[in-house]
Amino acid sequence: MGNEILTREERDLALKCMELALAKGAEKVRVTAYKSIMDLVGTLNGEVDKVTHCLDRSLSVSLFVDGRYGTFSTNRFEEKGLDAFLDQAVSLTRMLAPDPCRDLPDPERTAKDAVTGTELNLYDDYYERMTPELRLRLALDASIFGKRNGERWTLVSEEAEYSDSVFDTFLVDSQGLRCRHIETAFEYGVEMTIIDRKGNKYSKYWWDGTPMLKDLDINACCPKALDLAVEMLDPKRHRNGRTNLVIDTECASKVVSPLLRALNAYAIQQNNSFLMDSAGKQVFPEGLTILDCCRNPGETGSRYFDTEGVATRPMPIIDKGTVCQYFVNTYMAGKTGLAPTIEDAIRPKVLPWPRKGLGRKEILELCGEGILVTGFNGGNSNSATGNFSYGIEGFAFKDGRITHPIRDMVVTGNFLDLWSHLIACGDDARVCLSKLVPTLAFSQVDFSA
Amino acid sequence: MINDKSFYLDLFSVTENDLQQLLEESLRSGGDYADLYFENTSCSDLLLRDGEVSSGGFNIDFGVGIRVLKGEKTGYAYAESTDRASMLSAARAAALIADRNASAGCVGTRADEASVPKYKGRPNPAADRYPMLQDWRTCETSRLVPFLDRLHKDICARDARVIKVIAMLSSQVTDLLMYNSFGELKYETRPLGSVSISVVFQQDGQVETKSVSRSFRAGVEMLSDGLAEELAAKAVQGIDDRFAARRPKGGKMPVVMGAGASGILLHEAMGHAFEADFNRKGQSVFSDKMGRRICPEGITIVDDATIHGNRGALNFDDEGVPGQRTVLVEDGILASYMHDRISAGYYDVKPTGNGRRESFRYNPIPRMRATYMEGGQADPKDIIASVRKGIYVDQFSNGQVKIGEGDFTFFVQSGFLIENGRLTAPVKDINVIGNGPEALADIVAVGNDPTVDDGTWTCGKEQSVPVSCGIPTVLIKKLTVGGE
Repeated sequence: MGNEILTREERDLALKCMELALAKGAEKVRVTAYKSIMDLVGTLNGEVDKVTHCLDRSLSVSLFVDGRYGTFSTNRFEEKGLDAFLDQAVSLTRMLAPDPCRDLPDPERTAKDAVTGTELNLYDDYYERMTPELRLRLALDASIFGKRNGERWTLVSEEAEYSDSVFDTFLVDSQGLRCRHIETAFEYGVEMTIIDRKGNKYSKYWWDGTPMLKDLDINACCPKALDLAVEMLDPKRHRNGRTNLVIDTECASKVVSPLLRALNAYAIQQNNSFLMDSAGKQVFPEGLTILDCCRNPGETGSRYFDTEGVATRPMPIIDKGTVCQYFVNTYMAGKTGLAPTIEDAIRPKVLPWPRKGLGRKEILELCGEGILVTGFNGGNSNSATGNFSYGIEGFAFKDGRITHPIRDMVVTGNFLDLWSHLIACGDDARVCLSKLVPTLAFSQVDFSA
Repeated sequence: MINDKSFYLDLFSVTENDLQQLLEESLRSGGDYADLYFENTSCSDLLLRDGEVSSGGFNIDFGVGIRVLKGEKTGYAYAESTDRASMLSAARAAALIADRNASAGCVGTRADEASVPKYKGRPNPAADRYPMLQDWRTCETSRLVPFLDRLHKDICARDARVIKVIAMLSSQVTDLLMYNSFGELKYETRPLGSVSISVVFQQDGQVETKSVSRSFRAGVEMLSDGLAEELAAKAVQGIDDRFAARRPKGGKMPVVMGAGASGILLHEAMGHAFEADFNRKGQSVFSDKMGRRICPEGITIVDDATIHGNRGALNFDDEGVPGQRTVLVEDGILASYMHDRISAGYYDVKPTGNGRRESFRYNPIPRMRATYMEGGQADPKDIIASVRKGIYVDQFSNGQVKIGEGDFTFFVQSGFLIENGRLTAPVKDINVIGNGPEALADIVAVGNDPTVDDGTWTCGKEQSVPVSCGIPTVLIKKLTVGGE
């Protein structure tokens, strides 16, 4: 069944859609057929609360007509409606202003190796054996409601969801592109809410997700979420000041994602990036290397092609502090004159520094004193300047050991300045996340409370 | 408003007999309530970038969601086709929630749980709060493009520092048909039009951005000269201050929230905690405070579906319950949560019309509509004059709240220092942090200028739904302001 999520008829419809659009006057066409199936069991306090079954399909069409460009989609796969859909789409596209920068990617740049969709080993055959009974069993067995109590707290609520899903994408264009990607996902997430003896509530969330059911650490989630909630009891307001910042791997992408966004040609073209004119320059310290590990078989987030069908390539994004590439799709290449690359980072990975093997514990010891951030709560960054200000939750630490949870704190700074004070990049990124960012540590960071 | 039942039945290729049969199939396993939600949505957008409307498109989304309730438990499934086989398959999947065999041997399933009472509503139509004089679906693109062209021209003409304008015109028209096991049949067409603008300015090498938007439940007629002028004016308004703004010194200080868009703080920091599902599950900080004082006298907070043409307006919610004005906090006393049918049954009250969903792909849950604080007695100038040293905020973004703890953080997009009762230096790129219940209790003045903001607010609690928010000028005694 692995190659029959999108059926032969549904894939043929994508091809037919492309041919029809060409017949109606489009010069070039790209069509993406997509299908996903998801089953979910929600539990509340160890009992079934919700069961959901989802089946989604879509047909997305990019039209290049008389030098103009439009994008259209529908979830109606009936062949009889396709004709009218495309008539309307071609007609609307003709009303738009011409844009010579719009084009399909050069066929030389597109993926040729994503044929069956399962080449990356992201499809678990076991998915086909999932039953409603098995899903219920997995969801219910993971619960620990009523099994753990504390002297200082009572568990108020355990709200969890188990889900399994399969996604199938089939991408074709009028220059001969044919790409396919199939992936299964098994996920479990739980939010634990506890109340202390003073009536204060604390909630924490933990989850795991993996393409293969056998790798899902489902039974660890509830205890972990509960432990995290208990750790937050009795937070204290910490003093203002400048100190070391350690960011837990669970949330460390918060200070990496803005760098990747700033390297996107859309931001560059709009003069809305704090990394303008940075390509080829060392603007970060030597300790920062980010690779795009986009083709690792069996690992969440791996892809052979982007949404244009351009072949992904494992390559450095930032190498020892030097910016290696912008993310430039075909359109932005035309707009900016930059060489086209890939439209975005697919599976970025921050490499360990100054040595391999560092986890949170070792990094806390390395830093000695400071604030460990385990979650961000609101805030924002300025894409043009790189200034940021985020609400945080976490712990104060001293002599490499956590002393107490903190509350009502914000961290404020500028990304370029923050990264210039890099102390360490850990070696502990969670593989279930599509951005592989480990525990990070920085010095001289401003905190307000 | 299309008030023709046959239009909707024909659109979804069903008869009233089909609906009844589908419900019976949904309840066959022992569910005590079921409903059907048919949806046909057309979304379209036009994008102006670099001076020309050079991209656009549309999306069609069609399907039916089937929900089965057994007590407080939910079974949900949907089909993207309304052929009989697809709908029956979805009905059987949703019915699993009440299927003893499917859950056999699973300790803890509540198949024997007593059913909770479900509110029976009123027949269609309940109201007509968003008549669509001209349907977006039948409007020629050539009529819409000039609106964006005009906006671009007007914005560039107003300020020589403008270097980029991105303007998007989006529309969504949704045909809905709902049927439930009380035999209630509801149908309507909901329009939603939005204009969003992002402007990049440059001065002496410094770059600043500004965004502005307006959104209404209305047809093409909303694209008036007045709207274009308002948007163009707001897109450049205050940009001198933005260039001059600095991060202030942080600390704990009084915060004056400007009328209108600051209401997002009310939505995030307090509103979510009033949603009944969080309270039913014991997760909200307000779950044991019904009928108790939670803030000073004179403060009244409302969630309202009845504002004509408002982005959060509803004739009836996505469970068919009439849209209404719900007083959440009355003169400082917690008066009501926001309910869907499940939570209303749990609390044994009538649902408040807050059962909403993003689309047929989602089961409804309690959600806000237009949430605002009613006006008080104070003159906004007097409120500012009463602060010796503090901060005035007129635009927040990226707010986040922890429902259980009530802790919130909001990013200040624009505001001013208040020094000796006067607005002085502009500020930016800072956060305001606090605790929702504490902040409510610390309100010491409420202005007489209640304003609901008509921006493109979208609430993202599990699903995205359009909302709006508002607040009069309000003084909070102390909040933590993050800064240098």
